[in-house]
Amino acid sequence: MILSDLLNRPVLDAEGRTLGKVLDARFVIDGAPTQLLAEARLAGLIVSPHTGTTFLGYERTDENSPWLIAAFLRWRHRGSFYVRWEDVEMLTERGVVLVAAYARRSAALSTSIGI
Amino acid sequence: MKQLLGVALGILTAIGGFLDIGDLVTSSVVGSRFGMTLVWVIVLGVIGICVFAQMSGRVAAISGRATFEIVRERLGARMAVANLGASFLINLLTLTAEIGGVALALQLASSIEPTLWVPVAAFAVWLVIWRVKFSIMENVTGLLGLCLIVFAVAVFLLQPDWATLTGQAIAPSVPATETGATYWYYAIALFGSAMTPYEVFFFSSGAVEEKWTKKDLTQSRINVLVGFPLGGILSIAIAACATIVLLPQGIQVTSLSQVALPVAEAGGKLAVAIVIVGMIAATFGATLETTLSSGYTIAQFFGWSWGKFRRPVKAARFHLVMIICLLVGIAVLATGADPVMITEYSVVFSAIALPLTYLPILLVANDKQYMGDLVNGRATNAVALVFLVIILVASLAAIPLMIITGAGA
Repeated sequence: MILSDLLNRPVLDAEGRTLGKVLDARFVIDGAPTQLLAEARLAGLIVSPHTGTTFLGYERTDENSPWLIAAFLRWRHRGSFYVRWEDVEMLTERGVVLVAAYARRSAALSTSIGI
Repeated sequence: MKQLLGVALGILTAIGGFLDIGDLVTSSVVGSRFGMTLVWVIVLGVIGICVFAQMSGRVAAISGRATFEIVRERLGARMAVANLGASFLINLLTLTAEIGGVALALQLASSIEPTLWVPVAAFAVWLVIWRVKFSIMENVTGLLGLCLIVFAVAVFLLQPDWATLTGQAIAPSVPATETGATYWYYAIALFGSAMTPYEVFFFSSGAVEEKWTKKDLTQSRINVLVGFPLGGILSIAIAACATIVLLPQGIQVTSLSQVALPVAEAGGKLAVAIVIVGMIAATFGATLETTLSSGYTIAQFFGWSWGKFRRPVKAARFHLVMIICLLVGIAVLATGADPVMITEYSVVFSAIALPLTYLPILLVANDKQYMGDLVNGRATNAVALVFLVIILVASLAAIPLMIITGAGA
């Protein structure tokens, strides 16, 4: 699987209702060590109900200026949430299907660095 | 003392380097058709380029990243490819216009067909990029470009009716011979000629080339905030010259010779000689900058090694891109396409493409992860947001206006 298989795909809940689109994927670097960095592991997906465009960095809660752009992008991304990769049931023709008991987590990153 | 000299040199090259074929042609065309009624756009454009250059210089000095490295990092690969495509093509158009400009300026000096000068000019550009040190290249073309001050002198020698000139500039109205649509079309063209994207690619990449750090920021700010407005005054002087001499006689600007005509009337042969030197320097300098910008944008996007501070063999793909772009420019001009017309299109397309690079720079200039505590202040952000709106409006309005007016005909 490559990232393009996921990005911009529709996201469905267990009953087949559309929740939004895959906007972004988050990785943690805690895999097997390699020469430079440890291998990245897919941690989860950002799902957005309204837009397929990126946060442009404003998912980080401490980035608020210029306020007009920050406010506009936050509005565009209202309702976006983060699901852990464990909450993904399967990938089908129709899109990414989540498990019935998936949890909507906050898409915000609380610090500038890390997840 | 040495520092003072450095500041003076920086300012002088900023003035001389401010003008290019876009400013020469557009200011003159606008002056010959609209008088001084569009001067406010030059003022607006100069403020805009000051804000933009100052931000991108700071981003380059602090983060060590030039414009397209940032575009790639901030927008993600897909959006960045579209951005790169548009910015690169428009830069190529500007590059072609600038080579054509050098050829037209050389024609004024020699009366040899510009088509014959094109390959010579392009070869000279390549040679300079291949061999000459960055700082020397910048300073020589910048200082020689100062010859264009003759335009400002010419305004005084022509003894205009100052009240009419300033009246038109302060209380602008659409002249009776033109429509509102053409007025706004040329407003966008003039705005695009002052705020050309390549200036910023070049400025930020130049900051990396010259290894700017936090310490150089004050100097760069002085260069920009003093040099660019003085360069803008030259732009206004060109428009004023055209207003005084070309407008009353209904002379159309179709070549650089009409741009230089008022200077000839004011100061005779000597003034013309100086103005030709200035035009050659300004267009040649801008050709260097746009050629380098074509290499910078592509190399930075793909993560190739780039920069004149590396020997060509260490940045082979960067140099190859520039050679190809020069060849494309030669090929386009060899078809006999009119450089003045290419210039008029290139400034409008520059205005169209401007948001593509302006927005990422604005975002990163606000990003603490890149900038630490040197993020934009409130005042800068307020001005920058106003310009974001202006730039977006100009960009969106350009194509419809181009269609309505038949490209300003």
